[in-house]
Amino acid sequence: MPIILAGLALFYGLLSFGRYWIGPVSTQAEIDLHPAALPKYALYSLLRIAIAYGFSLGFTLIYGYLAAYNRKAERFMIPLLDTLQSIPVLSFLPGVMISMVALFPTRQLGVELGCVLLIFTGQVWNMTFSFYSSLKNIPREMYEAAQVYQLSWWQRFRQLELPYAAIGLIWNSMMSVAGGWFFLMACEMFVLGNRDLRLPGLGSYLQTAANAGNTRAILAGLAIMIGVIVLIDRVVWRPVITWAEKFKFEQVEAAEAPRSHILDLLRQSRLLSLAAHKSVMPIREALDLHFARAHASTPTPGKRLASRWAARIVGVAALAGLAYAVVKMLAVAASVSWSDLHTILLGAGATFLRVEFVLALAALWTIPVGTVIGLHPRLSAIAQPIAQIAASVPATALFPIILLVLIRVGGGLGIGSIVLLLLGTQWYMLFNVIAGATAIPTDLKEVCDVYHLKRVERWRRLFLPAIFPYLITGFVTASGGAWNASIVAEYFHFRGQTISTVGLGAVISQATDSGNFRMLLMATMVMAIIVVTINRVVWRRLYALASTRFKLEA
Amino acid sequence: MPPPTFEAVREVLSQGRPDEAAAIIQRLDASAAAGILAALPFEQQQILFRLLPADFAAALVSHFPYYHEYVLLHSRPTREIRAIVDQLDPTERMRFLDELPEEAWQRLMDELAAAPAEAPEPAAVSPVIPAPAVEKIIEARQVQKSFQQPDGREIQVIAPLDLCVESDAIIALLGASGCGKSTLLRILAGLTTPSSGAVLWHGRALSECSPHVAIVFQSFALFPWLTVLENVEVPLLARGMPHYQRHRRALEALKSVGLKGFENAFPKELSGGMKQRVGFARALAVEPEVLFMDEPFSALDVLTAENLRGELMELWLKKQIPTKSIFLVTHNIEEAVLLADRVIVLGRNPARMRADFRIPITQPRDRKSAEFLLYVDYIYKVMTQPELELAPPARREQPARPPFQRLPHAKPGGMAGLLEFLNDRGGKEDLYHLADELLMEVDDLFPIVEEAELLGFAKSHEGDVEITPAGKTFAEADIATRKSLFREAALAHVLLMQQIRSALEKKSDGAIPLEFFRDVLDEHLPEEDVQRQIETVLNWGRYAEIFTYDSETDRLLLHQATSATDQSSAPLH
Repeated sequence: MPIILAGLALFYGLLSFGRYWIGPVSTQAEIDLHPAALPKYALYSLLRIAIAYGFSLGFTLIYGYLAAYNRKAERFMIPLLDTLQSIPVLSFLPGVMISMVALFPTRQLGVELGCVLLIFTGQVWNMTFSFYSSLKNIPREMYEAAQVYQLSWWQRFRQLELPYAAIGLIWNSMMSVAGGWFFLMACEMFVLGNRDLRLPGLGSYLQTAANAGNTRAILAGLAIMIGVIVLIDRVVWRPVITWAEKFKFEQVEAAEAPRSHILDLLRQSRLLSLAAHKSVMPIREALDLHFARAHASTPTPGKRLASRWAARIVGVAALAGLAYAVVKMLAVAASVSWSDLHTILLGAGATFLRVEFVLALAALWTIPVGTVIGLHPRLSAIAQPIAQIAASVPATALFPIILLVLIRVGGGLGIGSIVLLLLGTQWYMLFNVIAGATAIPTDLKEVCDVYHLKRVERWRRLFLPAIFPYLITGFVTASGGAWNASIVAEYFHFRGQTISTVGLGAVISQATDSGNFRMLLMATMVMAIIVVTINRVVWRRLYALASTRFKLEA
Repeated sequence: MPPPTFEAVREVLSQGRPDEAAAIIQRLDASAAAGILAALPFEQQQILFRLLPADFAAALVSHFPYYHEYVLLHSRPTREIRAIVDQLDPTERMRFLDELPEEAWQRLMDELAAAPAEAPEPAAVSPVIPAPAVEKIIEARQVQKSFQQPDGREIQVIAPLDLCVESDAIIALLGASGCGKSTLLRILAGLTTPSSGAVLWHGRALSECSPHVAIVFQSFALFPWLTVLENVEVPLLARGMPHYQRHRRALEALKSVGLKGFENAFPKELSGGMKQRVGFARALAVEPEVLFMDEPFSALDVLTAENLRGELMELWLKKQIPTKSIFLVTHNIEEAVLLADRVIVLGRNPARMRADFRIPITQPRDRKSAEFLLYVDYIYKVMTQPELELAPPARREQPARPPFQRLPHAKPGGMAGLLEFLNDRGGKEDLYHLADELLMEVDDLFPIVEEAELLGFAKSHEGDVEITPAGKTFAEADIATRKSLFREAALAHVLLMQQIRSALEKKSDGAIPLEFFRDVLDEHLPEEDVQRQIETVLNWGRYAEIFTYDSETDRLLLHQATSATDQSSAPLH
C-alpha cells in the first residue's frame, strides 16, 4: 500500500515539474516563504538531484566501459578524467549558466539544464573512476570463465561486470549525491547581474528566508532539508547498500551484515514479488536469450569496419573541436590586459592563502578531536551520528544564514568567507581522522602501554603516522572543496547588495555579474590550473608516501 | 639433424605409413634417429620403436635418457625386450641397468628372468598401444607465444611446439610455476591466440568453430552473487537455452558432483572443496569435448584435494562425464602420475617440451606402489635436469638470446634451512623424499635448491641433492660467518651481484639508483619477472651485506658507505 501511494506521488510530482519546465523563463523568481510551500520546493530540489544523478550514472557506465575496454581510448580518457575530477566545478557555474540561458532564452528549461549539468559535473567523476577501476580489477579467471563459456556482452555485463562494480558504484553514488546538494544549493541561489535566475527549491528558499531575516522560515527550511537528506539515506541508500551485500566479493561470509527495515518490507511484499515475477523476470529472460542467440550467430567477434571508421571520425572530430577551443581560448587569454591579470593573480594569491589557512585551521581541531573520538568506541558511538547529520547539511545552504549572523555581529566577508570555507571542508577531515584512529590496531596501542610511552611520544610514534594516510585523503577532498566553495564564499548577493572580499572566487563572480567574459574565462582557467597543479605536485606525492610508508598492513 | 628428414618422417606417419617412417629412421645414424624419435608424440615413438630391429633399437639406447628407453622398451613384448637388452653394447648395458632406480631394475630383472623366449607377456606392464585409432581432438602446430615489452622487445614464453590432445585420455601438463603451462592451456582452449602457429579442432582452425570446452579454474571463478544453481546455469544461458531446460540440466550436473540440496546456497557459504565441485558442475553442464583444468586442486587442502581427485576419477572411469578427454595443468608431480594417462613436462624460459610419455599403470593407482614411485622419480629427474632436452629439434626463427643468469626466487633463510636439513641427513637426499618430508610443493622447493646450487653450496643430480663441502661449512657456521660465506659465494657466482658491486665501487658516493639495474633486467625479462629478480637480488645483497637499499630514494648504497658515519666503531669494514 505505501508503495502504491509513493508511486502516485512521484507521478504527480513529475507531471507538475514537467509543466513548469516547459513554461516561460522567470527572471524575477518569487519564492514563497510560507512553510506549506516547502514540500514543493523540496521535491523540485530532489528532482534536480535525481535527474543529474541519472545522467551521471548513464555517463559513468558508457565512459567507464569504453575506457576499460578500448586500449587506445583509455590512454587519453583516464588522464582527462583525472584532470576533470580535480577542477573546481563551481568555477564553471557562472559560465555554464550564461551559456545555458542563452541556449534556451525563452524557456525555464535552460536554467534548469544548467543546474543539472553543474550537479552532473560535480558528481560524475568519482563514480566513473570507481566503475572503471572495478572493471579493470575483475579477477582474470572470472573473466576467462565468461570468455570460455561464451557469454554475450549483455550477460557478461549483467552477471559479471555490473555486480562486480556494484558496491563501489553505490558508495560513490552516495558520496556524489551528497556532494550534489552542495552544488544544487549554489545553483538555486544563483543571481546573474540584474537577472535573478534563482530556481525554486530549498536553496533559494533558505536564501530568501535569510534575506528577509525570517528565523522561523530558516529553521523550517533547514529542518526540511535535513529531513529530506536523512529520508533519502533511510529510504534509498540504506536498503540499496543492504541489498548490495550480496555483491561483496568475498570468499567467506561476513559475521556482521548491515540491515534495513525498508528492504525487509520490500522483500516481504507479495505484490512486489508478484509484479517482479510477471514483469521483470520475463523481460530479463527474453533479453538474456535474445543476446545469447545473437552472440551465438556471430562466432567471430571481429571488429566491423564501419564501426571502426565511425570511431575514428568521432575521435578526429573531438580532437578538432578541442583544438579549436584551445586556440580560441588562447586568443582570448592573449587579449587580457595587464591590470586584469594583476587582479586575477592578486585574487589567486588571496584565495590560495585563505584556502591553506582554512585547511590548517580545520586540521588543528579535527586531528585531536577526531583521534580521541576514534580511539574511544563509546564516544564515537555518540559523536559519529551527530557529526554525520551536521556534515550532511551542504555548506552552501548555510551561507546566507551565516552571513546573516555575521552581519548582525558586525563582521565582514573577510572573516565570513573563512568561516564559510571552514564549514565546507572540515567534515571531510574529521571523518577521515576518525576512520584512521579507529583503524589503529589494538596491539600497537598495547605496545605503547607496555613500554610506557609518554603522551607526546604516543602521538609522534603511533597516532600521527597511523592516521597520516587518512589525513591526506581528507586534505585532498577538503582542498578541492575549499577552492570550490571560494566561488560562492567570496562574493555574495545579500539583501539587494553585493558583499565581496579579495579573492579569485570574487573575481570570477564579479566578472560574471558584469558580463566580462574575458575575465571570467581567464580567472576560471587560472583557478583550474592552480588546483590541478597543487594536486599533482603536493597531494599526489603525499598520497604516494602515505600509501607506501605509512600503510598499516594486516 | 636436418629438418627435412624430420618433416618427412612426420609426413609419412601422418599418412599412416609407419613402416616407411621406420625405414627412413634406420637409414640415419643412431643419435639423429634418437633425436627424431624424441621429437615425435609418444604414441608415434612407440609405434616406430616397435618396428625397429632389435640391434638398431639397442643402438638408440645411449641417446635416450635412461628412463625413456625403459618405457619405450615396454612397448615391445618381453622377449623382444630381452633381445634388445642382450644386444646392448656391454658398457651401455652396464650404464643403463646401473642408472635404473632399484625398483625398475628389479622389475626388469624379474621380467627377463620369468620370460623365456616364448612366455606370454606379463599383463601388468607393456601396454601395447593400439595403432593410431585415437581421434585427435585438438592439434597445436608449432604454436609459439611471445609478449611485447614496452620497449618493443619480444620475449618468448612458449617456444614453437607441437601438441595434440587425443580422445579418451587424461593428459597432464607439468612444469614449474611460471613456465607458461597455463598460457599453453589457454592457447589450446582458445582463450589466447598464439603469436604464431595454429590450433586446430578436428582439423579446423579455432577461429572458424566455437569448440565445446570448459575450464575448471584454480580460483574456482564462481560468481559470488549468484546461487550455486545460477552459477551452473550461466554457460547454459549463454547458449540461449530456455529456462526450464537450463534448470533441469544444471540440476543434473549438480547431482552428479554430489551437490544436490545446495542449489540455492551462495558460493561463500560453501567450503573450498564444495566450491570446486560447483566449478566442476558448471564445466560438466556444457558437456565439453575437452575439459580443461588449470591447477584445479591447488587451492584446496590436502585431504579435500585427494577426495575430489578420487571422485573425479570415479566419474571419469565410469564414463559418467560427457567429455572425451581431460587436459590437466598442474605443478604437482604426484597428482599427474595419479590421474594422467599421458604426461607432458614443460621446461622453462621459454617453455618447450621436455618429455611426453604415457603412464601405463592401470587405474586406480596406488601411491605406494613401486611403479608409481618410479614415474614420480622419473619426472623429478626430468624436471631437475635441464640438459635432458627432449624438445623438438631446433627450428628457432629467432636467434638464441645471450646467456642470462636468472636468479631463483628464494630467500637466504630458506636455503640455510635446507642446507642444515641436508647436513643432518648425511648430506644427500632424494628430492622427492625431501619435498615429502618438508611438506613442500615442488614449486617452493625447486627455487631453494636452485639457489643453493647457484651459490655452490649444493649439487643436484638426477633428482638427488647433495651438499658440497662449502655447503657443509655454511650449514655448520654461525650467523656472521654464514653471512660472509654467502657474500663470497654470491660475488663469485652471481653475475648481477658482481655488476652491482663493481658499479657501486666505481661511484664516488657509492650510490646508484636501483632504476638503473631495473632497466638492465628489462632487456631480458618480462615486467613481473623483473620485479621478482629485483626482490631476490635485494634480499641476497642485504643479507650478504654487499649493499643496502634505501627505499625512499630508491637507491642502492655500498654497504661501507652507510657505516661511514661511525667509522670508529666499525673498523672491520
